[in-house]
Amino acid sequence: MEYSDMPASIITRSLTKSYGELTALDSFDLEVEQGSIFGLLGPNGAGKTTLIRILTTLMRQSRGEALIEGLDTQGEGRDIRAMIGVVSQENSLDRYLTARENLELHARLHGMAKRLYKSRIDDLLELMGLAGRQKDFPDTFSGGMQRRLVVARALVHQPRVLFLDEPTTGLDPQSRRAVWDYIRSLAGSMTIFLTTHYLEEAEQLCDRIAIMDHGRLIAIGSTQELKDRLSGATVYEIDFTGQGADRYAALLGSMPCVLNIEQVDSKLLVTLECWECLSEIVTALNGAPVRRISLQERTLEDVFISLTGEKVRE
Amino acid sequence: MAIWQRDMQVLRRSIFSEMVAVIAYPLTIYLAFGIGMQGYIGLVDGAPYSLFIAPGLITMTAVNAAYNESVWSLWFHRRVQFTIESYRVTPISVSEIVIAKILSGFTHGLIKGCAVGLVIFAITPFRFPVENLFQYLLFLIPGSAFFSCAGIICGTVMDKPETIGKVEAVLVMPLIFMSGLFFPLSSYPPSVVTWVRALPTTALFEGARRALVAGEMQLLPVLQVSLSALLTFVAAVLIFRYKMSE
Repeated sequence: MEYSDMPASIITRSLTKSYGELTALDSFDLEVEQGSIFGLLGPNGAGKTTLIRILTTLMRQSRGEALIEGLDTQGEGRDIRAMIGVVSQENSLDRYLTARENLELHARLHGMAKRLYKSRIDDLLELMGLAGRQKDFPDTFSGGMQRRLVVARALVHQPRVLFLDEPTTGLDPQSRRAVWDYIRSLAGSMTIFLTTHYLEEAEQLCDRIAIMDHGRLIAIGSTQELKDRLSGATVYEIDFTGQGADRYAALLGSMPCVLNIEQVDSKLLVTLECWECLSEIVTALNGAPVRRISLQERTLEDVFISLTGEKVRE
Repeated sequence: MAIWQRDMQVLRRSIFSEMVAVIAYPLTIYLAFGIGMQGYIGLVDGAPYSLFIAPGLITMTAVNAAYNESVWSLWFHRRVQFTIESYRVTPISVSEIVIAKILSGFTHGLIKGCAVGLVIFAITPFRFPVENLFQYLLFLIPGSAFFSCAGIICGTVMDKPETIGKVEAVLVMPLIFMSGLFFPLSSYPPSVVTWVRALPTTALFEGARRALVAGEMQLLPVLQVSLSALLTFVAAVLIFRYKMSE
């Protein structure tokens, strides 16, 4: 089956949430395919948390509709909560229960029989590398271990949709990669809805990414689609030897196909109208002391900043 | 049930330290006032002072434990540990969460009240007919439920721990202490007695003492405490649901 033919696991239609004068979510339309890993990006205050709280039935919308696996968040909250797993920003582990007891409590809250959850918890603890620490209290765990335990807790009841709200915030690179590996291993078996501030994380994990700001969806697509959408201009880095950069900056800057030029030590960053202009640049540089000409790849961060601006949010 | 079982699991794990702390306070009061002062006070309502205050101390322990468990547990799970949030994304309702927490507070109250009762029974001359326990429980059960619900309301609406401490000092303890725990209600000026009697805490402490010592079956005070418990239960559920929907 083609990816785009997959039925939608999460649908929002004109989803709106207002707090008095403030509109946190503004006519938000979204479809997330079943079994995909979907990333939601946005600066602080963009409305990500509001959206995830509505989708996990923790909050009611002011207007519009949100469906999880075909169930309406307004009237079928209990059924939705039975089929979703949630990893919230806070660890929310019970520090008075051991790691295993935390998972057992979650299983009982989901109404699972002991014979069912016992082996499931064994498997999850093993998978997360926590089997040897299952009788210890979460307070004695490192940040990475606590996070892995929270992810394990969200998976005890085998959810069909997993919400991960900034799952790797505050983790060291090793722990972050361990969580990534595990999320990747889940791909296809359930729909994963991920919010993150780490653009690399979204790029590494997500099949599709949505960028939102001021409560609105402003871009959606695969990482490549989003990068392609970022204007036709291309940036080349020309690395000179000696004083070449000083001598050629003015010459290249005067060419009509060059939109912008920036000098950084012995390098020139040249923004061209389109990549076809490169041949003119190469001709102009004939005989110049050039060490290397390389295309500067657009990053997801470039896309994010171009769409949401550089201003720091409160 | 899962949340209540969790709370009982945690209580079992720390039962010894909990009991030492819970028993120490009323026992100190009993020794200081009941034994230390009885030579100066003599008989109160026809009973030695140490026997007069004993039922009230047992009741106070139970309701204090119910209140404290509810208020601090809910505040801690809501504001510090965020476990309430993790309960809310499971297929149980907000009402089920709050009812479980009320039940936990109530159970703490009963267990700790009984523990203090046993200790006072074991090391003091305070005695009562065993058959009076039934009448006493008619007060202790709704009384613990009332204070547990009150604790849930405070733990729901108060975000700062110092506010919880202030409410306990300014409202809860005065309500308990001024309800005839340490002195007969006849000590109040006649104009004040009517108002004091209208308080559910007065009905609870006065009624519980007379039930335990004299075995009196008092329908009106039992109804007063039970109705107060029912109203605070409804209020606690509604306030918690409202707070969670914010």
